[in-house]
Amino acid sequence: MGCGCTDCEKMMQPYMDSVLTDEEIAEAKEHLAACPPCEKRFRFEERLRVFVRVSVDEPMSDGLKAKLAGLRSLL
Amino acid sequence: MSDQVYRVARRMVSTREEAEDLVQDTYARAFRSWQQYTPGTNLRAWLLRILTNLNIDRGRRVQRTPDQQPLEEGDYYLYNRLESTMSDDNPDEDRVLERLSQNSVVDALAEVPHDFRDVLVLVDIGEFSYAEAAQILDIPVGTVMSRLHRARRILKQQLAEKAMAA
Repeated sequence: MGCGCTDCEKMMQPYMDSVLTDEEIAEAKEHLAACPPCEKRFRFEERLRVFVRVSVDEPMSDGLKAKLAGLRSLL
Repeated sequence: MSDQVYRVARRMVSTREEAEDLVQDTYARAFRSWQQYTPGTNLRAWLLRILTNLNIDRGRRVQRTPDQQPLEEGDYYLYNRLESTMSDDNPDEDRVLERLSQNSVVDALAEVPHDFRDVLVLVDIGEFSYAEAAQILDIPVGTVMSRLHRARRILKQQLAEKAMAA
């Protein structure tokens, strides 16, 4: 388990989304610097977001691209 | 821009064919109702608004009642579950992430209920801002944030289940 401080876990999402106040960010950073287990979980979360985005990416087919180009030419 | 529209559409519906139909219909409607677009306003949000409305009109969304929504675990849940399966006492985060497969992400995302998934798809996959997601789904920004938070927790819980079953 992390360091057992639930405050840090609660702060994870807002911290990642950059919606904390400057004061809260400073508080979170101070805690993370002193708490390797939480810091690691925050780094994991950052990598997870990228991994999710990359994993579900599926390029548009050439067929669809051609159809959309065809629709545009109707304008 | 059409790549971004497709990326979102693909995860709002189940199959590639449905996503292609949806994107095509979205562009067709956008071109037909072009005069309703106000120049200078957010074009991609306007397109996505059309797309989400079409998707709802098609009745492809099966709403779940609240008691069928998965239980929620905390934000550290996935990490803790994955780490518990590893023999290394203190693995680094990249090795923990390697416990997940790309296919499991696709499957786990499909398990997230629609209202939550739509927000997650727009923000985390389509890279739309909270304000854009709010405009597209016609909900307040605060609702975007609370649904997003729940959606991510549900996704992580689903990912943990799939990793444990593998």
